[in-house]
Amino acid sequence: MREKETTLYLGPQHPGITGNMMVKLKVAGDTVVKAETHVGYLHRAFEKLMEQRTWMQSFPIVCRICVPEPDPNEENLARAVEEIEGREVPERAKYIRVMALELSRLAAYMLWMGGQSGGLGLYTAPQWSVGDRDYILDLFEELTGGRIYHMYIWAGGVRRDLPDGFKERVLKTMDYFESRLPEYDKLIFDNAIFKKRTIGIGVIDKEKALEWGVVGPPLRGCGIKHDVRIDEPYEIYDKLEFEVPTVEGGDIYARAMVRRREMEQSISMIRQVLDKMPGGPVYNKVPNPLNWYVPKGDAYVKTESARGEFGYYAVSDGSLKPRRVHVRGPAYVHGVSLLERILVGANISDVSPIMNSLGVCPPEIER
Amino acid sequence: MEELKIEKEIAEEISKTFHSAEVTVKREKRVVVKLRDDLITPFLSYAKNNMNFIHLAHISCVDWLEDNKFELIYSLLNYDNKVMILAKTYIDRENPEFVSHTNYWDQAETYEREMREMYGINFKGNKRLTEFILEDWQGIPPMRRDFDTVKFSQDTFYNRPGRENAQDVRTTVTKKSGEEIPEIGKDYTVRNL
Amino acid sequence: MYNDKDAKKIVDIIQSYARKHSLWVVAYGTGCGAIEIPPTMTSRYDAERFGIRGSATPRQADVLLITGYLAVKTLKRVIRTYEQMQAPKFVMGFGSCTINGGMYWDSYNTINALDRYLPVDVFINGCMPRPEAVISGFIKLQQLISEGKAEGAEKYLKNLEWYRENQNKVIPNWNMPDYNW
Repeated sequence: MREKETTLYLGPQHPGITGNMMVKLKVAGDTVVKAETHVGYLHRAFEKLMEQRTWMQSFPIVCRICVPEPDPNEENLARAVEEIEGREVPERAKYIRVMALELSRLAAYMLWMGGQSGGLGLYTAPQWSVGDRDYILDLFEELTGGRIYHMYIWAGGVRRDLPDGFKERVLKTMDYFESRLPEYDKLIFDNAIFKKRTIGIGVIDKEKALEWGVVGPPLRGCGIKHDVRIDEPYEIYDKLEFEVPTVEGGDIYARAMVRRREMEQSISMIRQVLDKMPGGPVYNKVPNPLNWYVPKGDAYVKTESARGEFGYYAVSDGSLKPRRVHVRGPAYVHGVSLLERILVGANISDVSPIMNSLGVCPPEIER
Repeated sequence: MEELKIEKEIAEEISKTFHSAEVTVKREKRVVVKLRDDLITPFLSYAKNNMNFIHLAHISCVDWLEDNKFELIYSLLNYDNKVMILAKTYIDRENPEFVSHTNYWDQAETYEREMREMYGINFKGNKRLTEFILEDWQGIPPMRRDFDTVKFSQDTFYNRPGRENAQDVRTTVTKKSGEEIPEIGKDYTVRNL
Repeated sequence: MYNDKDAKKIVDIIQSYARKHSLWVVAYGTGCGAIEIPPTMTSRYDAERFGIRGSATPRQADVLLITGYLAVKTLKRVIRTYEQMQAPKFVMGFGSCTINGGMYWDSYNTINALDRYLPVDVFINGCMPRPEAVISGFIKLQQLISEGKAEGAEKYLKNLEWYRENQNKVIPNWNMPDYNW
């Protein structure tokens, strides 16, 4: 007997949804027959606002595009400006940038861990991981002055040098994180409930993953090794020793394990960066920010964020303000076309874990 | 030049196949191809099927109001040699229309929906050109250069007046530091409510 | 013997004491400020010691936390969420963008002053406000409740026409159910 189809609106006000968006589900019984994503609840018109502001005034704007992890945005815009201008960045600034990027990746994974396991009913995990994430936010606050939005990386370098004793504090925090990882294994990744709810669910087809535009941990969870940090090394990633973990399976568990292993790599990378960091200035001499003409040209730059490849396409017409900055976030593809595809056939209760595992972040879909 | 070997090979192959294409190797792992608008579909199909550029990274649009043109940019990535192609073309700004590429890539649908909403470009063949980001939008598409967002915001939304004793940051800082405001900065008294 | 007036006063005191120690916040992350809610609610800042906790549905919640800028599309949903909530209900504006638009003052899609559309009891300024600021905003709300000054819901009912007029001005297609309070 064919079951009657019902329409179910998941969101925008729903505790299981990742941010302010809506998924319209057609369900037969418990199974999703058709999914339709509705976004636009967070549209702030960043790309339009950037055309109204100077290049330097755009930096406080871009970091607000992705709230859990603002640094890849700043990094992208900074590198776009530098590529168009041909501006050099001091060696020390590159190291500091990589440190900030890896710290923010770690913070984003911590928040993801809370969301992923909280959505499965493991309510202790968010208490731990969100609490631990605050240690990184404290470091960021000391370094940049802001807990969430840093506005630290800018064209020509970073805003200021590390404070005294910062290196020791970062190392101490990293030691703490390393000691916590086995506990997270016990709590989340080896947990029987977690495994039962994630293995074999939300599977992405390995053959089709590249064509569908999957990037980041979901792609590496399909066993495909692709990471901007090794494919097109930016800053000093080519001088660091790290591996890009891949896991076969393509399901939620595989994506979780990719992130879990990347956390180890991030910790090791931060240690290497602090170990190798040279002295010197942290920014080159730059023009007056109010009088900063960027020459005519365009650039497509990309950064590996915690959710995948983050691309910026920037066009300058030689004036003070950007002509066009197009932001291509990983969630743009994951959250609309991919999500609609892989939700079909899933159980209703698995919708929220699938969204979390793909890292669907609505502010970067609509910007 | 040994470094840009792969990029040059790709550029050569493209210019052999598409004679009218203007191919430049911009830097390491970036090849820019400028094409006539009717050659975009054959080019994308050729790049996807014969040159293994299977990943569509983004489709972007730039409004060149002065030239009365829209520039469309298709970025493709090859996962084997990690080279990225930016295929560019110009279309007319009046009644803009272009071909949809949803049958090549799923995710093209999303980009085309956004561009129809933000620039008003009609993609023929895309079956889902419905409302995407905006809701009940009236007036010209907002990302066009001739749409004035400041004026729209001031007309539509209530702007709370500032404090009476509020000081302009720029003049206060210059008064304290004793430096002159650069000539260009005087235009940037942003907020006059 | 107490007269009716005194009795009402005592009931009010007990009521507001109970109310202020169980503020349930509806789980609606309307803007980027939602990122500071998990730290506020979890182990480090632990807002639950003030009786603040999340609630899944608007009908069981007391506080609507507007976390930041509101796009016009969200404003429509927020109004609907607010009107579904049962009294006593309070609105908190979180972040500079609810006060005067903040850094999105010239955006064509975000409203600039929240209190034109919904009655706001407490504003928390900053971009973004720290968890301490959020907690201090809640304590201010508790103070207002115990003094009987958090009367946003009554204000909304009294001035419904004015609010509706403002709401209709920015939301072109008003197709929402009428609630009969």
